[in-house]
Amino acid sequence: MLLLMLAVGCRHRTEAPAEGSLYGRYASLPETSVAQVSGFQLCDTVSVDVVLLQADSDEAWQRMKDMFAIVDSTGVTSWLADTEEPATRVKWEGQPLLRVIASHDKQAIGLYRLDSEEQYDALVDYQLNRMTNDK
Amino acid sequence: MNEKQFEELWVKAEAGSHAERLAAEYPAWRQKTRRTLSMAAGVALVLAVATPIALSPSQAGKYNKVYCNRAGIQDQQWVSLADELLMEG
Repeated sequence: MLLLMLAVGCRHRTEAPAEGSLYGRYASLPETSVAQVSGFQLCDTVSVDVVLLQADSDEAWQRMKDMFAIVDSTGVTSWLADTEEPATRVKWEGQPLLRVIASHDKQAIGLYRLDSEEQYDALVDYQLNRMTNDK
Repeated sequence: MNEKQFEELWVKAEAGSHAERLAAEYPAWRQKTRRTLSMAAGVALVLAVATPIALSPSQAGKYNKVYCNRAGIQDQQWVSLADELLMEG
């Protein structure tokens, strides 16, 4: 029974998203932990998929910064990005895009897939609500 | 009529006037009581519906699945990272 549960659990963890997906694009980066969180709830009715990259070394972090064209060396950098080219900064015009947030302290980058204005608004509300509740 | 008879009649007359006053004011009293009971029932209904909604936990921060290219990292660590980046960004 335990072996069966372990087998199911491992299968769950190693069952990756489709090839060509955002996760698939970065999952093979050296010295980089990559994860996809599916259905991250922003509120009771809206969720988003998030791909997270975390550098396992300073060299890996520098490579990530180069890949995403991040020039700042401290703090947090964030932008709206093209879904196919996350390094390309774009403006919100109602099209699907990525909200990219890069933290130098954590040496991590989050790519939040926004397919609708509803998700876009819910993400902004999530940030505002969390900041308000943490005061 | 002696004094005692007069007093008895006076008491009856007073009781009669009270009875008339009660009869006149009863419909208004009954309407007021019904209105109060209706309002109380309405408040109870609203509370019965609103309380479970107000007390239900928010779904924010929950998730469906986590896929990862590394073993040994808990799903919740990634979910927390997703939350923390939003807080910083």
